[in-house]
Amino acid sequence: MSDETLLVVRDLTTTFATGGGDLTAVNHVSFDLARNETLGIVGESGSGKTVLSRTIMGLQPRVNTTVTGSSIIDGFEVVGASENDKRTIWGTEVAMVFQDPMTSLNPVMRIGKQIDEALRVRLGMSRKDAKARAIELLELVGIPSPIERYNAYPGQLSGGMRQRVVIAIALACSPKLLMADEPTTGLDVTIQAQILNLLDELKERLKMSVILVTHDLGVVATRTSRIVVMYAGRIVETGTTREVFHHHRMPYTRALLESSPKVSNKSHTRLVTIPGRPPNLLNLSPGCSFAPRCKYATDQCHTERPELRPSIEPGHTFACWNPLPVNSEATLP
Amino acid sequence: MSSSPNLIVPNVSTLGVKEEPGQPLGLFFWICVFWIGLNLFGAIFANVLPLQNPLYENFNAINAAPGLHHLFGTDDLGRDILARVVYGSRVSITVGLGSILIGYGIGAPLGMLAAYRRGRFDAILTTVMYLLLAFPAIIATIAVLSFWTPRSLLKIIVVIGIASIPLVYRVIRTATLSVATKDYVIAAKVQGATDRRILMKELLPNIAPIALSFFLIGVATIIVLEGALAFLGLSVNPPTPSWGNMINEARTVLSQNIWLALFPSLALCLFLIALNFIGDRVRAHFDVAENKL
Repeated sequence: MSDETLLVVRDLTTTFATGGGDLTAVNHVSFDLARNETLGIVGESGSGKTVLSRTIMGLQPRVNTTVTGSSIIDGFEVVGASENDKRTIWGTEVAMVFQDPMTSLNPVMRIGKQIDEALRVRLGMSRKDAKARAIELLELVGIPSPIERYNAYPGQLSGGMRQRVVIAIALACSPKLLMADEPTTGLDVTIQAQILNLLDELKERLKMSVILVTHDLGVVATRTSRIVVMYAGRIVETGTTREVFHHHRMPYTRALLESSPKVSNKSHTRLVTIPGRPPNLLNLSPGCSFAPRCKYATDQCHTERPELRPSIEPGHTFACWNPLPVNSEATLP
Repeated sequence: MSSSPNLIVPNVSTLGVKEEPGQPLGLFFWICVFWIGLNLFGAIFANVLPLQNPLYENFNAINAAPGLHHLFGTDDLGRDILARVVYGSRVSITVGLGSILIGYGIGAPLGMLAAYRRGRFDAILTTVMYLLLAFPAIIATIAVLSFWTPRSLLKIIVVIGIASIPLVYRVIRTATLSVATKDYVIAAKVQGATDRRILMKELLPNIAPIALSFFLIGVATIIVLEGALAFLGLSVNPPTPSWGNMINEARTVLSQNIWLALFPSLALCLFLIALNFIGDRVRAHFDVAENKL
């Protein structure tokens, strides 16, 4: 592992014991993340991207959950670590920005206090220093008149403002890795761009790595250097953003790209959808999980599961028996 | 018109800040608070208030109707009903508050812990509590109080208090469960907050409105229960007045003396209505969904 690598994920598997049997939400996922890199994790709802991002930082539910494999953040093995040990890296090594800013702030605590907490408890700052730093952070994330806002309750702020506060809290202890789990899904489109630009800018300024979990390919297209495409808990294609957008080999990636609406389309163009539904994770076929919805599927696809294999560009891998030809192009969203 | 442009300039100090709507509590709420306050005042200061001796039997004024000398009339032994109602509130309120405090003292921490920790601890504790709930509390308290003699106020409080633990546990656990899965609790956790901090700073303030509301309703329920026990002769021993045993005494002389039944019943009834209304209002006031925040 080179010094440039911040996060190493190997064979990470998360299994939930449910009434209907064991459900493997994340299945043998492996990837690396370099320092100061932005990685996008994309996939449909239920593809395991949120569970993956939470398992990476050791945030899986306490009960009925088994995690195997390895997730090493800056030399700290998260899998198998006790809650107390994980607490030493939460906040300082890795922090999280949540999906819905309406529920990720404590409604009965002043926002300033919520930022203070981390500073005082984790960094042992004095009350006065913590307040000064909290106001600095509010300013950093672009909140106007931060001194007055310090005393505001979350209910007094708009969604975009709240998400900025959530980001300020996440940044409080200067984490090296920021997990952003659909950070813009709960926001207006105009605010979405602002928040994403803010994350980009902060990443550069604070030299963080960012993992951007989203189902919106438009979000990852310009803001990530690499993409991991997930389906039914597994990585089905991964590579540089450019590579995945222009030379994807996996039909699922193509289907995802085609189903995002394009501004260049004429009005009233029907949206392209992927036929069928994501598979039932309790009852996966022995073959490729995408085969039932795939128009290129052959008998082999239904009986034998394809492993990730390299494409032409180094670092670009995909899992498919009948990959698209190398020069296939899909229009960028 | 030189002043008109000012009308459309937004107020800078509130820019981007939504006003908190917060359902108004209303006049009736404050009347209820006043009424509870008056009752508490009477219960605490009964000794110093210009009341007659609640135990003094005036045989010249038996079953007297309300009048100048006895504002609420007298009972079948010539005792002043006003004094007895006020002194009687002591028993009712002490039992109501004391028991629910025991219930909260034990049930609330257990409920919060169970909902936060989940797992085996929660499963076992919840099963035990639900088993206890399945057993009718009134029968249990009657059984225990029948055999645990001599009866005293403290014993009654302890027995009802223990009987209320599973109820409090269930309410607090459910309330905590719904808060514990919120993102802000997870957010606090990934900022490295300890369990203790999460319980005290994230969970407790957010379940406080429900806890307070159920506390008030619990007091009301227990006062009724104490009334029922007193009616059955299982509460404090006469001649100490309580609302319940006054109503019980009134039963035998109902045809001669309506006042003896009326005033303690009225006191009990109004006190309960006020408590329930405050409890409900408090919940609605803090309920984010109902406020459409």
